[in-house]
Amino acid sequence: MLALLGIAAIGQRAFLTLWRQPVLVVSTMIFPLVYLVVLGNAMNRPLESVPLAVVDEAGNAYSAECRRGVLALETGRRLVTASFVGDRASALDGLRRGRYRGVWILPFGLSPRGPAPSFIADNTDRFSVETLERALRQVWQEVSAPRDVAPAAAAVQLDAYPYLDYLTYLGPAVVCLAIFMGSMVSGGLQVLEDRMFGYHEGYLVTPITTGTLVAGNVLAGALVASLAGGLVLAAILVITPLSVAGGTSVAAAAATVFLTSTAIAALWFLLFARARSASLLRGMFGIINVLLFFPSGALYPVESYPSWLLSISAVDPLTYGVRALRNLLLRGAAPRAVFSDWVFLATFTVVSGVLTKVLFRREV
Amino acid sequence: MTSPRPIEVERLSRKFGDFVADDEISFAVAPGEIYGLLGPNGAGKTTLIRMLTTLLPPTSGTARIEGHDIVREKSAVRRAIGTVSQAQTTDENLTARENLAVQGKMYGLWGRALRERIEHRLKQVGLWERRGQIARHLSGGMRRRLEIARGVLHRPRVLFLDEPTTGLDPQSRRAIWDMFGELRSHDPELAIILTTHQMEEADHLCDRIAILDAGKILCEDSPAALKRDLATGERVELETDRAISEEDRRGIADEGASDVRFDSPTHVSFTARPGEATGRRVARLLELEGYHIVHLTIALATLEDVFFSYTGRALREAPPAP
Repeated sequence: MLALLGIAAIGQRAFLTLWRQPVLVVSTMIFPLVYLVVLGNAMNRPLESVPLAVVDEAGNAYSAECRRGVLALETGRRLVTASFVGDRASALDGLRRGRYRGVWILPFGLSPRGPAPSFIADNTDRFSVETLERALRQVWQEVSAPRDVAPAAAAVQLDAYPYLDYLTYLGPAVVCLAIFMGSMVSGGLQVLEDRMFGYHEGYLVTPITTGTLVAGNVLAGALVASLAGGLVLAAILVITPLSVAGGTSVAAAAATVFLTSTAIAALWFLLFARARSASLLRGMFGIINVLLFFPSGALYPVESYPSWLLSISAVDPLTYGVRALRNLLLRGAAPRAVFSDWVFLATFTVVSGVLTKVLFRREV
Repeated sequence: MTSPRPIEVERLSRKFGDFVADDEISFAVAPGEIYGLLGPNGAGKTTLIRMLTTLLPPTSGTARIEGHDIVREKSAVRRAIGTVSQAQTTDENLTARENLAVQGKMYGLWGRALRERIEHRLKQVGLWERRGQIARHLSGGMRRRLEIARGVLHRPRVLFLDEPTTGLDPQSRRAIWDMFGELRSHDPELAIILTTHQMEEADHLCDRIAILDAGKILCEDSPAALKRDLATGERVELETDRAISEEDRRGIADEGASDVRFDSPTHVSFTARPGEATGRRVARLLELEGYHIVHLTIALATLEDVFFSYTGRALREAPPAP
């Protein structure tokens, strides 16, 4: 009997505790829905608007047909965003910079007997590559098939980069996930926990300014997150075949990890600047996880997202971290290529920090 | 130009919605003085301390610490004060020394100056041997001593102690009282303000006390003066070998005894003004009349009696519902 009473008492307390914190109830109920909506829209959607460059070196009837086929893909199925580029070199350069996901070259003398089109794919994005390759092959088959007896020359596909398995492809995503997890255990969230125990009284009475408090906590959170991200970065450099990464790329990757960490740490502090209890954090963690991680394009290409999800991606520091790391580690880009990402991350950190300082109430 | 007093409080009030925690509190503390705020739980002591240490803004009234306004010159106030609050503000994952190092940096201390101060204060509170010990492993009394070291590390001009010995065993309490004495002798200009609900603490430590109840100051003076001004503070119990006659009963009343009560013909108890030795005079009177005093108890007036005389309640009871 005593056991039953004890169980009932604990159950009653748990229920009342939850019920008296309506925010917690709402966020707990909403979280699975958010997960479903975001995930459903972020992944497994039909691929859309994949940037493709087409280089027409043939200038004949077949290449014109091919070009029409690509336009059909663009306007009808909306699979691609096509750019018709004049010369091969600038198309490939765009590919290297990540502007195009693939380059379809229609060589001089294009004909069903050969030479056939060449498709150079950004194989760091396997989802896009497979679908694109299939669609373009179909276009070529339709263009080449009805006019000849001899079998059409097989379309050529080349990989722009050395072969990547899925694990390697996921590398940047996992680094960013580590940064995210690391940012949770320190920094601004520590202040929230301090409020629960009264520790915050100890430093709120000292002469340190609110600005110092914010800067110190953001830096602390960033260091912990950088440590986590850095460890995972080191691990993937060791265990996956990243042959394109040179010394400067690795250094730039480390800098990217640090900048992403500061941005995420600043974001956490901002989100909870006015919060009074840590239970709010527990309720919101799941939702924030989903809202930050999945829209970042870590697992699935960003171009396919609906516009409302794209707007989240645009302000999500992880998006820029993932993109920069992909460019540096998988595409072997020079550090210069990710400067714009760095600028965004740094600006994001500063703006968040200033907002936090303004919002933070320095009273007990 | 006289230098500003350490603490000047003028009609300071704090409301939480309709509930008035502190109601137009006014007082002042001189340098080198230990000023006590004595009152039951819920009297508004902690709220008052929080306002004076810039942790909570007042709803009306002003206060100045070393001449700096607590609302308009918060940084200056924070630099001048040290606080030992009821909450545990030492980080349990840091050692004693690390806790002080972190604290010192927030006051702009560093390098050798910081190290020397840490050593000085740890020795002063008797924790130097345990400087490398994680705070979580220190006992309650030691932890409290560490908090005090933390509060005085930066040599504040004013020290706020919010219930410094609550929850400690009598031995630790004594040790901390002795430590305050030492702090004071090392720094005679230091003004200390102390809140407590234990009358022995207020009586023992404070130069002056304000008795607080339901957000208001009831009276303010030195402990001795407060007790002396009570009309009926001393309680006397007398037991004689034979019944006390009517005539002698009147004689007892004439000596200045009040509330005379006879539990039995040989047992009398009464109250008297403290300091007039009424109890001894009554005993002397009875002896002269030929009685033999079997038993004599004189209980001196306490601050508890002072509180009771103002509020009709004991210090330890909860205040009446608003």
